Amino acid sequence: MLPDASSWAAEATAVFAKEWRCELRTRYALSTLALFAFTTLVVVSVSLGPLGVTKSQGSAVLPVLFWIILLFSVAAGLPRSFVQEEESQTATALRLAATPSALFCGKLAYGLTVIFALEALITPIYLAMMSLAVRSPGLLVATLAAGGYGLAAGSTLVAAIIAQARSKGTLFAVMAFPVLLPLLLLSIELTRNAMGGEPAGVALSQLLLYDASVTIAGLMLFPTVWNP
Amino acid sequence: MESLKKILPWLLWLWLALVILGAFLYAPAAVGFKGSSRILFFHVPMAWVSFLAFLTAGVQSLRYLYAGRERRLDRSAAAAVELGLAFGVLATVTGALWAKVMWGAYWNWDPRQTSILVALLFYAAYLALRAAVEDGETRARLASVYAVLGLVVAPFLYFVMPRMAEFTLHPEPVINAAAKVDMDGKMVQVLMASLAGFTALFYWMHNLSCRIQDVADRKTRSQR
Repeated sequence: MLPDASSWAAEATAVFAKEWRCELRTRYALSTLALFAFTTLVVVSVSLGPLGVTKSQGSAVLPVLFWIILLFSVAAGLPRSFVQEEESQTATALRLAATPSALFCGKLAYGLTVIFALEALITPIYLAMMSLAVRSPGLLVATLAAGGYGLAAGSTLVAAIIAQARSKGTLFAVMAFPVLLPLLLLSIELTRNAMGGEPAGVALSQLLLYDASVTIAGLMLFPTVWNP
Repeated sequence: MESLKKILPWLLWLWLALVILGAFLYAPAAVGFKGSSRILFFHVPMAWVSFLAFLTAGVQSLRYLYAGRERRLDRSAAAAVELGLAFGVLATVTGALWAKVMWGAYWNWDPRQTSILVALLFYAAYLALRAAVEDGETRARLASVYAVLGLVVAPFLYFVMPRMAEFTLHPEPVINAAAKVDMDGKMVQVLMASLAGFTALFYWMHNLSCRIQDVADRKTRSQR
């Protein structure tokens, strides 16, 4: 029995709204992600800044460190959306309330908004602390959007898998990183290009292709992960 | 039929022994490569077998999820991943040894080296996932989903990504865009024989592993 489109959209929106309502009550994920990202950023800046990185060293290393900060922040805070359902035993109610694809999209939208908020917070601070000039701001925004989407999509699927396992924190990192590695490499290259003012080349379309693949894989595999 | 089954492992042993002899005595050293090129007859088949193993795991996992949820299919997938990791590690190590001789360093961030490393990480995570789930059915379901995800990831890592890079230290692959085989005829013969031998070796080891697990499973069930 296929739900009609309007009820699917209503379910997905309801899940998204529920996620944010719960999150705003405790502000757990937001504060964890923001603090973790900010702390890591300070560590990076304090380690590198006083040394005075040369321009060529900077363009090699700084995009890498930026995306590593994002990646580890996401690994620290995002899996909680599924883990919490299992721990508080609300997962069963969720299985009854929403179709798997609507649930996946609702959680994905939540993860996406959290990551975008994080990027909006971290990027200006990072650019300011490392004294980075961005020659192609449009490309940077596109990279943050496409890369952030890929992070959200990959993390949501892996979080759903590990929520039903033990040692969730470390297992998430172990499972997610090989899946997210192509995304990371492409995003780093594009960020470097944005800073240096070079054209995106084929990397942006490859990144969008990766995003599409992860979304399709997630939508197809999530029902099997979610339903016993 | 039974006697044929008994003979097959010995035939495989003989085949692989001939491959080893052929690699050192029959095939010439590649032009400009000195004697070290002979490692190719083992390095390439092992890399190929690791991909085949991961493909097998993905297919068995698909069958588990959508054709009956028989636990032996899930166990078969796990056995395939273990073997794939073993062959993959061997391929990486032999590749690193050859890289030291040919390119001067064990690790060069060559796209093919990097992508097989990522593939090994991916499947090591598969085993970590299996270890982290207690309930058998949940473990089988989650691991199968991950192995099916690997059906997309592994071909990308083994075949697409190395060809995407602008520059690679690896020689042109045998399956290349020009559809031309650049190797000496004798080398091709030994390489193909080695590929066949290693493939048969993988399937034999996989079959043994599955049979051992079946027996262990029957034993546990009869003890309940």
